[in-house]
Amino acid sequence: MFFISLTFAVGWYRMREPWPPLPLSPLLLALPGLALIAGSVWLHRASRASYLGAEGQRRLLFVLGGALVLGGSFAAGQAGLTHVSWWNHHLRIPEDGVSASAFYGLTALHVLHMLAVLAGIFFSAVRLWRGGDARESLRRHALGWHFVTVTWLLLFVAVYLP
Amino acid sequence: MEGAVSLFSSDHKDVARRYLWSGLGFLLFGGLLALLIRWQWAWPGQPVPGLAWALPESRGALTPPAYTAVFTMHGLIMIFFAVTPLLFGALGHFVLPLAIGARGLAFPRLSTLGYQVYAVGGVLVLASFAVRLGPASAGWTAYPPLSTPAFTPGLGQTLVTVAVLCAAASAFLYGLNFVVTVVRCRAPGMTWGRLPLTVWGLFFASVLNVLFVPVLAAATALLLMDRLLGTQFFMAGAAAVGGGGDPVVYQHLFWLFGHPEVYILILPAWGMVGDFVAFFSRKPAHGYRLTAGAMGTVTALSGLVYAHHLFTSGMSPVLGRAFMVLTLLISLPAEVMFLNWLMTLWRGSVRLTAPMLAALGAMVVFGLGGITGLALGSVATDVPLHGTLWVVGHFHLTMGAASFLGVFAGLYFWFPKMFGRAMHEGLAKAHVLSSAVLFLGVFGGQLAAGYAGQLRRLYDPYQYTYLKHLLPLNQWTTAFAFLLGAAQVLFVVNLVWTLWRGRVAEPNPWQVGTLEWTCAPSPPPDGNFASVPVVLHGPHALSQPEVLARLGRDWIGQAEPLPDAAVAEPATVDAKCADIGRMPTVGGIT
Repeated sequence: MFFISLTFAVGWYRMREPWPPLPLSPLLLALPGLALIAGSVWLHRASRASYLGAEGQRRLLFVLGGALVLGGSFAAGQAGLTHVSWWNHHLRIPEDGVSASAFYGLTALHVLHMLAVLAGIFFSAVRLWRGGDARESLRRHALGWHFVTVTWLLLFVAVYLP
Repeated sequence: MEGAVSLFSSDHKDVARRYLWSGLGFLLFGGLLALLIRWQWAWPGQPVPGLAWALPESRGALTPPAYTAVFTMHGLIMIFFAVTPLLFGALGHFVLPLAIGARGLAFPRLSTLGYQVYAVGGVLVLASFAVRLGPASAGWTAYPPLSTPAFTPGLGQTLVTVAVLCAAASAFLYGLNFVVTVVRCRAPGMTWGRLPLTVWGLFFASVLNVLFVPVLAAATALLLMDRLLGTQFFMAGAAAVGGGGDPVVYQHLFWLFGHPEVYILILPAWGMVGDFVAFFSRKPAHGYRLTAGAMGTVTALSGLVYAHHLFTSGMSPVLGRAFMVLTLLISLPAEVMFLNWLMTLWRGSVRLTAPMLAALGAMVVFGLGGITGLALGSVATDVPLHGTLWVVGHFHLTMGAASFLGVFAGLYFWFPKMFGRAMHEGLAKAHVLSSAVLFLGVFGGQLAAGYAGQLRRLYDPYQYTYLKHLLPLNQWTTAFAFLLGAAQVLFVVNLVWTLWRGRVAEPNPWQVGTLEWTCAPSPPPDGNFASVPVVLHGPHALSQPEVLARLGRDWIGQAEPLPDAAVAEPATVDAKCADIGRMPTVGGIT
């Protein structure tokens, strides 16, 4: 409901007046999302496998590491795009009004959720690396990741598309 | 050392006690702020005795900015930091697992985290009083653009906005926890039809928490970004840059949360009223399924009626009409529930215990609050009454007085279970009776003043000629408010005395059959039950002829088998809970 409410707010502004296009192409803005979608598929497949014994632990560590790389790529991609928008294209808050506010503000709120999921995966990976068990938490992380992917799709449609 | 352990323990009973003390502290603080507001309306601009230390420049008189801050913080504290935490944090955390036969909440660490987040919010609220320009002062709803830095620049408003986010996060966490606990952790045999109505109320309210508290979080997060980052979501008028945003979006989001919040606050109280009316009429709850269904219907409708708060915001008249119909529709399930309570009382062996008196008081004040709300649900009558004290009187009766009495009904009922000591029944009765009567005096006075046209947030209403004649009415209302404040001393004395020297509670002082009273000692140990109870009956199996004949009493434990012949009941709690009886049972009665 948090992201649905944010989408409702953006929808309200879009109904009020034409939504100015962002200075970056939607295709470029979609790029980091590919890492998210790939991560969703990766974790979905991984959560259906079993991880028994030392070999299983190694594979699980590889899964978590892969998710961290994909998540890190997404966060870095979003940071890069907002950076380019600010410095190269001079899209500023407050000067550029509510569309710029939505672009920076909602992107930041979404990335904060992504970072929370990544923190969970990171701590699970550390626990596993120290010899603990992280099999149970994999399903939770996959759920969190799917949630962030779906909300990114909402963000893309509501804010990034012209 | 024991205290330190208890502070971080994730046992639901320890978390409940933490919420209880914090919630009561904030209730006291919020109540004192209410008395300041009442003082201002009775003696506008006159120094408040004993307040000169806080407001030295005005020698203790409330200045307009101080008055604005006081009514803002009163509302915020009461809703987010007192009543909600008392209903869910204290009573909900304590009762819910015990009443469904669970060993604890589904996510114990989440409930500890929820309290810690709430505590951070509470500290921020208190800290906001110490910063320059004072605490928040844009009303409890924090409507922009008033709550944006252009109009309320102080740090206090920002701190309180973060505090509301903390309270929202905490409410979401315990809402999620309660929903999962009820769905997944019920004892064997505890079917949906055997849940106490209190659990139904907490469950539905928790569903609302999970669905609608994030909406408040979204509105508050956007507002916080407007305050801290310079975004333009809600900026309007001269303060707007680049075209600005739209403050009305905030109003929609706020009330999409705000109206369900009314039901979040009242559903647990409704559940308790339903249970207590049955327990103390010594009768099964009349229309158990219908009452639970009515609570579910109210829950389902509660998110569809919010825009009646916005009738005067310039919304389309077509929308206004639609929301009016939906709003008035919600009174139907509420009436079904109310009639079921009355039918339960009808020809019952009514025992006027303190929890029962509080429940009856909650019924009366909620009934009056509901009826006065009809005038606000209808567009034609809402337009002249909007923004008047009528609104204040109405919502204080429903989510203030009714929830307050619900809290105290629950507290008096479960106090022996929580602490193993029984409160003084006479003092408790005097407390709830005087509170209920004085609530009617205070909020009845507000309804009358509102009907006469007094706007709700005026610093000095008597600057207006047409309101001058309301001074005596407001002074009477203030007298009732101060008496109401004084009546709370009865509770404080009772609480302190009971904790210090109170008599040890009997195992089942109310002679009811719910699991917390029949399968666990008082206070319950870690894990709650020696063995997980197997539930055989509904929560209101009272005055059943076969029970009277075979056990010689008018109640039977929910997990207690009915013996074939009139033999003595099982000797131990364990024996009661472990055996599976042969009495076939369905529904809420048996």
